[in-house]
Amino acid sequence: MPFDASTLDAPFAALKTYDWGVDAAAFKPIDEAIAATQGDAAAKAEIERRLIALLGPDTSRACKESVCRKLALIGTAAAVPALAPLLADGDNSHMARFALERIPAPEAGAALRSALGTVGGNLRIGMLSSLAARRDAAAVPLITGLLSAGGTTAVAAATALGAIQTPDAIAALAKADPLAGDAVARAIVDARLACAEGLLRHGKRTEARAIYDQLATAAAGKPAARAIELAATRGIVACLDTTAS
Amino acid sequence: MTDRFISRRRFLATTGLSAGSAVAAPYVITSKALGDATTPPASDRIVMGGIGIGNQGSSDQGAFLGSPNVQYVAVCDVRQKWRDGGKERVDAKYGNKDCAAFVDFRELLARDDIDAVHIATPDQWHSVMTIAACQAGKDVYLQKPETLTLREGPLMIAAARRYGRVVSGGSQRVLEDYRTIVEPCWAGEIGTIRAADISIGPPPMACHLPGQPTPPDIDWDLWLGPAAWEPYNAGRCDGNFGTGGNSWRSYVDYSGGSMTDWGAHNFGGLIFATNLRGQQPAKVAYHPRSADGKDGAYATIVYPTGVEIHCNRPQHLKPQKPSIAHERGIQIMGDGVATAATPVPVYKGQGGIYGDFLECVKTRERPFRDIELAVNTMTGIHMLAIAQRLERSLAWDRDAQAFTGDEEANRLLDRARREPWII
Repeated sequence: MPFDASTLDAPFAALKTYDWGVDAAAFKPIDEAIAATQGDAAAKAEIERRLIALLGPDTSRACKESVCRKLALIGTAAAVPALAPLLADGDNSHMARFALERIPAPEAGAALRSALGTVGGNLRIGMLSSLAARRDAAAVPLITGLLSAGGTTAVAAATALGAIQTPDAIAALAKADPLAGDAVARAIVDARLACAEGLLRHGKRTEARAIYDQLATAAAGKPAARAIELAATRGIVACLDTTAS
Repeated sequence: MTDRFISRRRFLATTGLSAGSAVAAPYVITSKALGDATTPPASDRIVMGGIGIGNQGSSDQGAFLGSPNVQYVAVCDVRQKWRDGGKERVDAKYGNKDCAAFVDFRELLARDDIDAVHIATPDQWHSVMTIAACQAGKDVYLQKPETLTLREGPLMIAAARRYGRVVSGGSQRVLEDYRTIVEPCWAGEIGTIRAADISIGPPPMACHLPGQPTPPDIDWDLWLGPAAWEPYNAGRCDGNFGTGGNSWRSYVDYSGGSMTDWGAHNFGGLIFATNLRGQQPAKVAYHPRSADGKDGAYATIVYPTGVEIHCNRPQHLKPQKPSIAHERGIQIMGDGVATAATPVPVYKGQGGIYGDFLECVKTRERPFRDIELAVNTMTGIHMLAIAQRLERSLAWDRDAQAFTGDEEANRLLDRARREPWII
């Protein structure tokens, strides 16, 4: 049956006034339409257009949250201009990321990278979390700069680089002192180990072994670094095991 | 032995400090600390803490607290009633007031003296806490469903392996409740297994409950954790395992619904019986509702070996005479040509799945429901959920940990975590 956008007029009107505690059944047809219009780019685009229109200041937090959940599934680059400003809004930042993190379009990554440079505190960690999930290689220089921010931001930056695992990310992590003993150093070591595992999965034993050897050598004989030494030693063994998957 | 066991005992041996030393020995050594015929000395016990001491968590706590091999020292829960109750049980056991009580799990994990933790929080926390615990050098007993999304599993396995941690999933039913199908299958009685049918519960639902005043005895921000912020409502976070809209387990932000809740047990039991725990599915074939509307939609999970697991298949499409069946909606078809028996994997140590975990903490073996086996089980269920949601067949690339050629399905591999949580 051809998609008839007018059938969604009432559901979108209901979604526009939605708040927690209100019966959501009225806009369930929107979810059903999203499922039913598989492969229909024009229908999806129309639904997306209507969802985007509900991201303005005149709708509730609950409404925006529901919209972002749907855009996570069908959003495209068209949704980015409306989602990007919400990244700096404490109430809506997470749900804007809920959509942007899942939208494959490069514009979504660009919006997250841009926000990384402008927001602070936990919102900035949120951007790092989403860029890590996207394995956003273009974000590596920005994230590298945050390794020196200290505290939870630096820990999150290290975690993100450990997820992205590009050669630049690996090189950035290698510059830090693995034995500094603080939370940031532990996160950097963890990220380096993750990178080594990634290299090994892709058959790059020599590069992986280099990371493990560096860490094992740095940690050798130091009781406080025993966990690092053990992890690096396990990695060295894995590099030697030609039957390991 | 864990490096912690070695370091603690070796410390006493190599530094000359002992029970007779005036320097480091306690002024009074209790008989419990020294142990007896049935209880190891305190220095040989596994020091444990619990994170999430609600309905299931308190049950897990009881099992660990009752083990002579455990010294239980700390509880953590964002709800005061669970936290207080958990501490009271520990204090009553040891006859003191020493059990620490935390609101924030990070403070519990920062305790250097803790060897292992058990985790029984809502599912949105499982990956964050398990990875953090491994990074902190703790072994982990993690309640099922072990994962909420597909992206989480490999990261949890990686953390466990990276730090040499014992991480056990928590479905005690897989071995104990499904013996009637496990034993004949592993004995080769029904021959090579070709297919199975299973009943799988429904997926979770969205939560639209109104906001209520947040009571003073819950840290709502920490209860939500990585999940989307929504206002407090007792119906959101209370309840007891219900998946019909009467507990957190009903709702998509905190759980995979009955599909993953009982799926972890039921699907896990079937996967164990059919010896598929070491594999992940190759694809999920979606069968839409029949044209005449008589047959509802169902899906078939297909493993690389060719074994097909039909989920909620219409009754008339199932074999009328299965090779073997289980009361929980499972039936299995073999080719009837008896094969050689294979020993059934069982728990190590004594005391069911809890004892299995504790034994593995000591021996450093992988437990019965090792995190990799748990993740493999959950992967099949998550794939099923996504195929049903999108109403189409999906192919799975195990190496890439992604669906092949389906961008929309790959959007559902994970969900953005609320700041400041990152994995």
